[in-house]
Amino acid sequence: MAAVLDDEQQLTETFAALANTTRRAILARLADGPAAVNELAAPFELSLPAVSKHLKVLERAGLIVRGRQAQFRPCALDPAPLESVAEWAERYRPIWESSFDRLDDYLRTLQERTLEEQSKGTTDD
Amino acid sequence: MTETTDSVVIERTFAAPRATVWDMWTTVEHFAGWYGPPGASIVITQMDVEVGGRRHFSMSMQGPDGNTMEMWFVGAYVEIVDGERLVYTEMMSDADGAENSPETRVIVELRDADEGTAMTMTHEGVPADSPGAMGWQMAMEKLDARLAG
Repeated sequence: MAAVLDDEQQLTETFAALANTTRRAILARLADGPAAVNELAAPFELSLPAVSKHLKVLERAGLIVRGRQAQFRPCALDPAPLESVAEWAERYRPIWESSFDRLDDYLRTLQERTLEEQSKGTTDD
Repeated sequence: MTETTDSVVIERTFAAPRATVWDMWTTVEHFAGWYGPPGASIVITQMDVEVGGRRHFSMSMQGPDGNTMEMWFVGAYVEIVDGERLVYTEMMSDADGAENSPETRVIVELRDADEGTAMTMTHEGVPADSPGAMGWQMAMEKLDARLAG
């Protein structure tokens, strides 16, 4: 499934899954090692179905994989999508740099406009 | 293995007075004039530059396939020290402002320089004091160790 999502879609899915305190806490717990659903639910005041819902979101985002044993279905962290989040800052750097290049040009244009207006002002006198 | 970084820090010097550079970040007209990569157009629906004030805007860009890609962002101003320091949050959102990404934080610091204004811009992936950030940072550290190992 992850293979058919392009990078941008994948990152959007990952971000959406991460936009929740409980789900981030679940991932932090899974970074220690695989766990069963009831173990994951224990630290939260949440019902098992509520935790299952969170796990489904994480699974869809490719952040966790789940075992096949029907009753327990232990969960494990899949760090692959997190890697692209980890590279988040580096993805943003070129966007900021090009924004600031634009800001440079924009400031220059403003300055020229101001100078023009000033010289117009003096000839009008 | 790339180092896990969850903030980007950029230092630039602009050939303009500090008050002018401040206006670039804090007025609708000027912010929309430069923000975003080349070819991006910014539409600001809300920009209340006061502590707790909301910001909501869209960025549109022509994709390589010729389709226009529109992205929405939402956030709030956290700290405002006139002409010196601006802190705001930013999340991806939809056109109505419903958030759909973790909160990120932008910190802009300005100071006088010989040739104008020196700026340090820090964009943090997950602010250290946001709810759930601790767990997140721990997960990232473990991930780092795991990827390095």
